[in-house]
Amino acid sequence: MPLLDVHNLSKIYEGKVSIHALNHIRFAVEKGEFVGIMGPSGSGKTTLLNVIATIDEPTSGEVMIGGRDPNKLGRKDKALFRRKELGFVFQQYNLLDTLTVEENIVLPLTLAGVSVAEMESRLKEAALRLEITPLLSKRTYELSGGQMQRVAIARAMIHRPSLILADEPTGSLDSKAAGEVMNLLAEVNEAEGATVLMVTHDAVAASFCHRVIFIKDGRFYSEMYRGSSRAAFFQNIIDMLSLLGGATHDLSPVRL
Amino acid sequence: MTFRQFAYRNVARNKRKYAAYFVSSAFSVMVFFLCALFIFHPDIARDTILSTAANTMMVAEGIIFVFSSLFMLVSVGSFLQSRKLEFSVLLMHGMTKGQLNKMVFLENMLIGSSAILTGTVLGLLLGKLFLMIGAEFLGIAPLKFYFSWQAPLLTVSSFALLFVLISLCTFAFIGRESPRGLFQSGRKAEQEPRVSPLLAVVSALLLLGGYGLAASATAASVEMVMFPVVAITVAGTYLFYTQLSLYIVKLLRGMRRFYWHKTHMIMLSGLSHRWKDNGRMFFMVTIVSAVSFTSVGVFASIHTLSRELKLDYPAAVGYVAKGSQAGYNAEGDLRGIRDELERLGLPYETLSIPVKYAEVKSQTGPDRTRQLPLMAYSDYKLALQHAGFISHEQPLQGNEGLVMIGSQRDRSLTWGRIKAVYTLEQGTEIAETGYTEHVPIAEYLLPELDGRDGGDFSGVVVSDSLFHSIIPAQIDYYTGFYVDDFPQTSGIAGTLADKGKVAYERDSPYAVVVSGTLFEIQKTLYSTMLFASLLVGTVFFIAAGSFLYFRLYTDLDHDRLQYSTLSKMGLTDQELDRSLTLQLALMFFVPVGIAIMHSLFAFIALQRLFYLSIAAETGAVLAGYLAAQGLYFILIRGRYLRNLKKNLI
Repeated sequence: MPLLDVHNLSKIYEGKVSIHALNHIRFAVEKGEFVGIMGPSGSGKTTLLNVIATIDEPTSGEVMIGGRDPNKLGRKDKALFRRKELGFVFQQYNLLDTLTVEENIVLPLTLAGVSVAEMESRLKEAALRLEITPLLSKRTYELSGGQMQRVAIARAMIHRPSLILADEPTGSLDSKAAGEVMNLLAEVNEAEGATVLMVTHDAVAASFCHRVIFIKDGRFYSEMYRGSSRAAFFQNIIDMLSLLGGATHDLSPVRL
Repeated sequence: MTFRQFAYRNVARNKRKYAAYFVSSAFSVMVFFLCALFIFHPDIARDTILSTAANTMMVAEGIIFVFSSLFMLVSVGSFLQSRKLEFSVLLMHGMTKGQLNKMVFLENMLIGSSAILTGTVLGLLLGKLFLMIGAEFLGIAPLKFYFSWQAPLLTVSSFALLFVLISLCTFAFIGRESPRGLFQSGRKAEQEPRVSPLLAVVSALLLLGGYGLAASATAASVEMVMFPVVAITVAGTYLFYTQLSLYIVKLLRGMRRFYWHKTHMIMLSGLSHRWKDNGRMFFMVTIVSAVSFTSVGVFASIHTLSRELKLDYPAAVGYVAKGSQAGYNAEGDLRGIRDELERLGLPYETLSIPVKYAEVKSQTGPDRTRQLPLMAYSDYKLALQHAGFISHEQPLQGNEGLVMIGSQRDRSLTWGRIKAVYTLEQGTEIAETGYTEHVPIAEYLLPELDGRDGGDFSGVVVSDSLFHSIIPAQIDYYTGFYVDDFPQTSGIAGTLADKGKVAYERDSPYAVVVSGTLFEIQKTLYSTMLFASLLVGTVFFIAAGSFLYFRLYTDLDHDRLQYSTLSKMGLTDQELDRSLTLQLALMFFVPVGIAIMHSLFAFIALQRLFYLSIAAETGAVLAGYLAAQGLYFILIRGRYLRNLKKNLI
């Protein structure tokens, strides 16, 4: 059974002109997979992520995570579900500036009421993996963008969620920091067996995935598996993006 | 869009930001205007007793004005602080410094003039109601609505001047910063506050010391320690907000077992973030509230006044004919008083007591009394009996003497006084052995015993046999008119004493005290002070609330981002509500709680000066304030949560 099963998912935003943001999307993600979602602006990537994250409700269709449909839960249970089963990485990092780095990382564990000893050992482990041990006692405003994103990844994985959702994690980073962050995310996926679903514009970031799903106008367009070579995969992604015909800024500058 | 329109839209489209500032300014203007209406009311200005009330109101006007200017200065400063990014965008687009100044000036004057207009118009609408309430407070006949030209003139001109000055001050606030500096100021916000454990300890010690001194003050020392205690407490409070409270939070944050548990982390970190920005404001709110609690509490104790007066003025009208003025027709005065009492239909009893003055050769102790007023023990008992006092004092023996206290509130002074032994010219010795339980003859009717101002003991009661053996230098005759309902005697003997008393020290052939008139004057004074302090207290309250509102509003964007992240991460609604409610509750009630602590200790110290308990009145005032604050808290909390959750998932 797949860990994430998106089944005939549709989302219509009502309004003067109703917008069909998602149109019968269906795909599945197996446990331990690292899946990217790409598509031109306005193709519904973020809506898809939000619906999976239970932040938005689908108009029809269902999302099964670990065999359960969280959208059927009440508001409170949804929150508890997110707390336990999901980890989030945002484009703007969204670290809490009132907390120190280590406090930011253990936040999901404190909410769950885990013992301090357990939190400390997991914190140590996560910090080692993401190479942020020297930063632990700093405040967030002392960090660079790449460092902040690494902290955010540590926060997203420390409670061992079944699914990590990443929304443009490299969107605010320079290419060097983006490469480092993606390497670490791939490593977390590899070593911890964490399932990652990532929305991105960045072909370089997408080339770290096992598989990339392309959507256009809210519909499933195609998908692509990575072979042995990341460089070849990157080229294929670029080709697919130009086929999709997104705005030019969706393309990596390497190509232009 | 003209430049003026631009300035107007800046304000009009930011209504919510300026709302509380506007309301609070308009309220100050209104109260100021109402007080002015009161002061310039012809019925008030002409009356002799009520004109003292007008003076009190004038002081209240001054306080409101000074406080308003401080409040506005701080508010405008924080408005500008919150708009730095906007200003730098304007500067980047080529707005000159002069234009920026002009814009800010126009905006301020816009808010200011509409606040003045609203306040004055509201004041006009509520003028009659206010005069009615004022008259009710002072216990006088309802005042007619009278619109004096001075009141609006004073209000509008003083507040217009204030707003212009404040607007000019903004130029200094904007200063000479370059656009680059303005851009950066938005980002560097989150600095860890510097907290020193030493200062935290100093703060705790100062507060404890201030409280300890206040609680241990005696009647004699209250006046002496008052200023140091106030200074110590104010300093302690300041350090409490800027150091001690942050230090406590820091300690709590160090305890992982506590801090890393459930929502404690979010709650405490959010709290310390808000606290550190608002420490100075909390300090101001605390001090201002403590002052208004204390004054309102003190002036609310008028009701104890009549009980106190009854104890201190045993006879409603007391008259002493001085023996030194032989030819004076004291009988005529007494007959006049009798006639007046009969005309008013007041049942009364009279009692006449001779008071002998003995020449003193020498005495022990620091004072030097030349003539010692003496009263016989049986007369003393008689005086108490007429006044309806019950005493359990034993008859005096030999040369024992009881010092007469001038008023019950002076009883506390007896601790610090050395009991003297007098040797009279005739050779007899009189030794003070104690103090009378009650006041037989009111203050002012006998000379002060200790020969200095404010010596509060009137004379000595001696045994009948000793009294008879005294060769007097002079004999005064005291006559008391005992009336059950003494406030009724107000205005009696107006020809003898226009303000209710002629003290013995005055150069006149008699001394007289009319407790009804004294009561009336005191009551008017206290009622005005209560009225004025309630008004000022309300202005303070509204201003403090508007500070809080503004601070919360400025933080709203930051909080929204934080809580939307948290709620994505799985913070439930209940957890969010609980965490925010606790933070807001601490912000609302810690300053008030500390202010209440301060004023409680102030009351404890003031108890030494007021003989009777003022606990009930004080409790009522504090409860009223807490209720108002609670209401405000519920209102703001609801609005804030609603705003915060607006675009939360």
